Amino acid sequence: MSNKKYAIILDDTLCIDCKACTVACKCENHVPAGFYEYRNWVGEVENKKAVFPNISRKFRPSQCQQCDNPPCVHVCPTRASYQTEDGVVLVDYHKCILCKYCMTACPYDARYENTDIHAIDKCTFCYHRLAEGREPACVETCPPKVRKFVDLMDADGEGNKILQTTQTEVQKPEKGTNPKLFYIK
Amino acid sequence: MSSTEAAKSHSDMFNGNKNIPMPLIGLLIAISLMGLYGVFNIMTKGHAASLGTTKTVPWGLLISTYVFFVVSSTGLCLISSMGHVFKIEKYEVIGKRAIVLAILTILCGFGVIATEIGHPIRMAIYNVISPNLFSAIWWMGTLYGIYLMCIIAEFYFLMTHNHKGGYYAGLAGFIAGISAHSNLGAVFGFLEARPFWHGPYLPIYFILSALISGCALVIIIFNVAYKGEANMPAKAKEALLGIAKIFGLLLGIIIFFDIWKVLTSVYGAPPEKYQTVMAMISGPLSVNFWFFEILLGMLIPFCIILATKGRSIKAALVASCSAVVGIFFMRYDLVVAGQLFPMREATAGSRVQGVVEGLAVYTPSASEITIVAGAIVLCAGLYLAAERFLNLTED
Ligand code: SF4
Ligand code: SF4
Ligand code: SF4
Repeated sequence: MSNKKYAIILDDTLCIDCKACTVACKCENHVPAGFYEYRNWVGEVENKKAVFPNISRKFRPSQCQQCDNPPCVHVCPTRASYQTEDGVVLVDYHKCILCKYCMTACPYDARYENTDIHAIDKCTFCYHRLAEGREPACVETCPPKVRKFVDLMDADGEGNKILQTTQTEVQKPEKGTNPKLFYIK
Repeated sequence: MSSTEAAKSHSDMFNGNKNIPMPLIGLLIAISLMGLYGVFNIMTKGHAASLGTTKTVPWGLLISTYVFFVVSSTGLCLISSMGHVFKIEKYEVIGKRAIVLAILTILCGFGVIATEIGHPIRMAIYNVISPNLFSAIWWMGTLYGIYLMCIIAEFYFLMTHNHKGGYYAGLAGFIAGISAHSNLGAVFGFLEARPFWHGPYLPIYFILSALISGCALVIIIFNVAYKGEANMPAKAKEALLGIAKIFGLLLGIIIFFDIWKVLTSVYGAPPEKYQTVMAMISGPLSVNFWFFEILLGMLIPFCIILATKGRSIKAALVASCSAVVGIFFMRYDLVVAGQLFPMREATAGSRVQGVVEGLAVYTPSASEITIVAGAIVLCAGLYLAAERFLNLTED
C-alpha cells in the first residue's frame, strides 16, 4: 500500500475563465492541438446565486475525477486503464486497443482518443511531475489558484483540513465512483 | 461409423445445391468489395477521420452492426439446437443451414468490429497476456471465440453425419452462445454511467431478440435454398411452420418487453432515461424507432403471423424479411440511443462534442456505411456459395 492518495480541491468561485490550465496541460502533456483532444476544460455553469441586478458568471474547471472506484478501469479488457497504488488512474498506451469501452463507461466524458499516439488519453494528475515533487501543471499555472493539489493520506495536511472545515461536493456522487476532485461549495 | 458410410458421407458432403446461380454469388461478392472503400479510408486516414463517431458518441454503426451479426449468429445456433441438441425431431432438418449461416454471420461480425477497433492485432495479443476478468468486453470476446470453435466443430460433425459429435459440439455451442450473448448484453448493462443501458434488462433482452433473429433467418434461408415453398420437402415445411409459430410467440413477448421498457423510462421522467427514450419517440431517432423498429421489426411480422395463424410459409417469409430489417435498426437504436444523453452539460467552454439541444448527434460516415453494406452483402454471397458447394440438406 502506498502512503499517498492524491486529490485536487477546487474553489471554482475564484475561476476567471482564463483557460491557462487548459493551455498548460496541452503543453506539458503533448496533447494534440485538435479542439476535441483535451485533458481538462473550463465549462460555464449556471450561477444560481446571480439574480438580476446582481449578475455574475460562474465557471467550473474540470478534468478526469480520478475516481477511487473507477468504472473506466473496471471495463478495460486489456488492463490498459489501471489505477496506481496512490490512487491515480492512468492508461498504458501500449496496451490500449481503442475499443473505447472506457469512454462509454466514464460518467464525466473525461477521456479522448489521442490521434498522435493512437490510444485513449486523459488527465494523469501529471504523474511524471509528482515523482519530482512538482505540482500538476494546471495547479501550478492558475493565476487565482483555483486548484489545490493535496494528499489525503496526510492526516494533518492541508487537504484534510479543508475537507473537514469546508463544505465540498463531488460531481455525480450518485454514480458511486468516489471522485477525488472536490469542489468547495 | 463404418468405412463405407464414412466414404459415402465424404462423397456427398460437396453435393451442393445446383439451383443457386453462380453469377449471383459472383455478383454479391463483387458488390461486397465496396466495403474496401471504408477499410482503405481507415487505413490511410485513420479512424478519427474516417468514422462518424465522436468523443460523445464513441460507438456507432460498426458496433451496432457487429451486434446485429452476432445476435443473428447466436439466434441461429439456439434455434438449430432444438433439433440436434434437444432432439425435437421435426427441427433436425434446419441444423446444417442454420449453423453454416451462424458461422458466416459471426465471422462477418468479427470482420466489422476489426475495422472499428483501433488496434485489432494488439487486441488479440493483450486479450491473452493481459486479461481483465472484470471486463464484459473481455468475456464477450473470449466466449465468442470459444463459441465460434464449437459451432465450426458442430458443423463439421453434422456434415460428416457424426450425430454424437454433433450433439456434444452443439451443446457446447449452445452454452457458449448463451453465455457470450448475454455477456454482450452486459457490455452495455454494466454501465452505471448510462441509465438507459444499465441493469439486467439487456442481457435478457439480447437472448430474446437473438431467438427472433434466428427464427426469421431460418425461414428466409430455407425459402432461398428451395426457391420458395413449392419445391420444399414436407419435412422442411413442417419445421418451418413450427418455427413460424415460435417466431410469432417471441414477437409477442418482445413487444411486451418493449412496452415496459418505454413505460418505465417515461413514467415520472427518470433522468437521462427519459430524455433518451424521448429521442426515440419524438426526437432524432423517431423514424428509426417507429417505422423500422416498431413497425417493420415487430408489428408487421407479428400481425402477419397472427393473421395467418402461422400456417403460411409465404406469409412467414414476408414477416421474416420485415423483422430482419427492423432488427438491424433496433440494434442501431439501442447502441446510439444509449449515448445520446451527454455525460456533461454542453455549456460554453465545456467542449462537449456534437451536442444539439441537449442531445448528442451521430451520423454514420460513408466509410462506416460501405463497410456495413459490404459485410451484409458478403455474408449473403458466402451463404449462397455454401449452399451451392456444400450439401446442406439433412437426409
Ligand atoms: S473520471 Fe472517468 S476517466 Fe477519470 S477515473 Fe473516473 S471514470 Fe475514469
Ligand atoms: S479504449 Fe483502451 S483504455 Fe479504453 S477500455 Fe479499450 S483498451 Fe482500455
Ligand atoms: S493534472 Fe496535469 S494532466 Fe491533469 S488536467 Fe492538470 S495539467 Fe492536465
